[in-house]
Amino acid sequence: MSQLTLWDIKKKQVAKVDGLDPTLMPSVKRRLSEMGFSSGQDIQCLRRSPFKGPLVLQLGDCVYSLEQDIANRINISAS
Amino acid sequence: MKNIILVGKPNSGKSLLFNQLTGLRQKVANFPGVTVELKSGAFDQYKLVDFPGTYSLKSLSRDEELAIEKLHEAMLSDETSIVVCNLDATRLESSLVFGLQVRDLALQHNKGIIFALNMIDEVQRFGHEIDTEKLAADLGCAIFALSAKTLIGLHEFKLALIDAAKHPQEFLPLLHSDDESSVVEISRTLSKRYGVKADVVLKKQNRIDGFLLNNLLGGVIFLTIMFLLFQSIFTWASPLMDFVELVLAESAVKVSIFLPDGVVNDFVTDALFGGVGSFLVFVPQIMVLTFVIGLLEDSGYLARAALICHKPLSYFGLSGRSFIPYLSGHACAIPAIMAARTIESPRKRLITMMTIPLMSCSARLPVYALLIAVLIPDTHYLGGVVNLQGITFFILYFIGILTALLVSTLLTKLTDVDKDKAEMPFVLELPTYRLPHWKPLGHRILTSAKQFVRRAGPVIFMVSVVIWFLGYFPENGVLQSSYLAMLGHWIEPIFEPLGLDWRYGVAILVSFLAREVFVGALGTLFGIEGADENISGLAANIQADGLTLGAGIGLMLFYVLALQCVATVATLKAETGSRKIAWGLFVAYGVLAYCLAWLAASLL
Repeated sequence: MSQLTLWDIKKKQVAKVDGLDPTLMPSVKRRLSEMGFSSGQDIQCLRRSPFKGPLVLQLGDCVYSLEQDIANRINISAS
Repeated sequence: MKNIILVGKPNSGKSLLFNQLTGLRQKVANFPGVTVELKSGAFDQYKLVDFPGTYSLKSLSRDEELAIEKLHEAMLSDETSIVVCNLDATRLESSLVFGLQVRDLALQHNKGIIFALNMIDEVQRFGHEIDTEKLAADLGCAIFALSAKTLIGLHEFKLALIDAAKHPQEFLPLLHSDDESSVVEISRTLSKRYGVKADVVLKKQNRIDGFLLNNLLGGVIFLTIMFLLFQSIFTWASPLMDFVELVLAESAVKVSIFLPDGVVNDFVTDALFGGVGSFLVFVPQIMVLTFVIGLLEDSGYLARAALICHKPLSYFGLSGRSFIPYLSGHACAIPAIMAARTIESPRKRLITMMTIPLMSCSARLPVYALLIAVLIPDTHYLGGVVNLQGITFFILYFIGILTALLVSTLLTKLTDVDKDKAEMPFVLELPTYRLPHWKPLGHRILTSAKQFVRRAGPVIFMVSVVIWFLGYFPENGVLQSSYLAMLGHWIEPIFEPLGLDWRYGVAILVSFLAREVFVGALGTLFGIEGADENISGLAANIQADGLTLGAGIGLMLFYVLALQCVATVATLKAETGSRKIAWGLFVAYGVLAYCLAWLAASLL
């Protein structure tokens, strides 16, 4: 089975963060982990936009919006 | 006077806390081009400095980089007595990540720190309580629960802060974290122990987002808000503008009675009231625009707008974050170009900056307003909600935006596509919806008016005076044989194809310093000519004088596109680091503007 990424998440679905893609720039990786994108964290998709627009998700006590380029470099597993 | 520095995440209630601590007297130190905006105000016998909000002490974009640099400087300085870190009590986890970083930095520099646990009223409303004594022990720092909005705990906090500033060494952090990852861990643990459950905090916000970010409804609401914004510039501002105009006209009459007839009287009524006065009339409009943008920003809607716009803007090579600089570009290009620093991707940032001057800034408002009043009848539809002049306004703004998007596409196509690999991604936090508080908003409106008058005022005053002298002499008030007429006739061939006579030529030429000078210059010119008439009705004077529709519309288009602002060119040069880009844009937009104006004048 291929690795699921955050971009594959469906609306209302809850998943667990598995890790960050090593090709991400170090500064982006650090910011994402400060935002709470670290292994084992629960993440919920609140909304998907049409035409492959940014998705909206809840992580910890924040709501973030991420575009495809970054969402498909965050690995998740269904929970 | 020693400094107290105030830091915190964006949308954590920091500006309101700053306003509550400092009261009405504030100063904005704006270092153009090189640094960030630092607000300061007096608190007790100290100077409270408000640092721009950042999400982390590790920067991701240019604006954060600059703010963090400044913070490091302040930490090193002996002038800094104590650090205040503002936390959002409803979102402990994310605000503590930043808070703990600041705590460690303060300890490193041997500075005392005190935490303000802001928005405690919201926590109480959720029926939750935070044990600040235990939290203080876990943080190794003093922490005070308060609400800058309802003023709970604010008095105690003020007393504690004065005490802390006197004895900063007693407020050194007692704990520190080992490394970066432990900061996140500790924040998570503390938030679980003390904080409100995320689902409780986010419930209302997510429900509102269900409407405002809805695929269909959200788009309709967005367009409606934007349309109302532009309508408001005209409809809400006009009673205020009429009032200013009335006051100016009354004082002009009063003053001219006192002064003996002759050169001095003519100078005061034509150059001062006619030239400078006709520009002051537009200050209310700038304030209304700043008010509406501020309202959208403080309520939390702007972040949603950026999200909605991200995908459409990405087709033009821009980011959703380009939306905010574009929107504030409608107030003034200079802060807008600086606001483009929040765009993480360097290429998108450059393209955004290069196209911002095409947004119709408030300096263009006087010109549009004057030309619309001359050319477009004041017809109302739908019981006064929509009026023809407002629609024309909307169209002019729209032409600017459309041109900006076309230029962006062109620039994206021209720049190397391979650079995309290093693009910074689009990540945005959606803040809680809040009712904007009048204090920070009021300050912002006043600052916008003050800065506008201060920046444009001296130029307009000088230009008005010079034009008046050139237009009044050598034959005391006979414009047709003045020095200015000679100069004007000499440059007339340039403007003739646009269907404009020498007076407009002179006004356009001087407005290359700053656009709003155009109205002042025309005001002075028509003032000298019609010295016996009512000096306040410049639009009526132009109407009587006869300006053809084609030439008038060409003139409007010219002002939509041309980059007539020395300050913007200087800011572009500083922010892009390239003289070539700045002056290249000046020439390119000027040529484009001239061509379109010529087309309009020839075709209509």
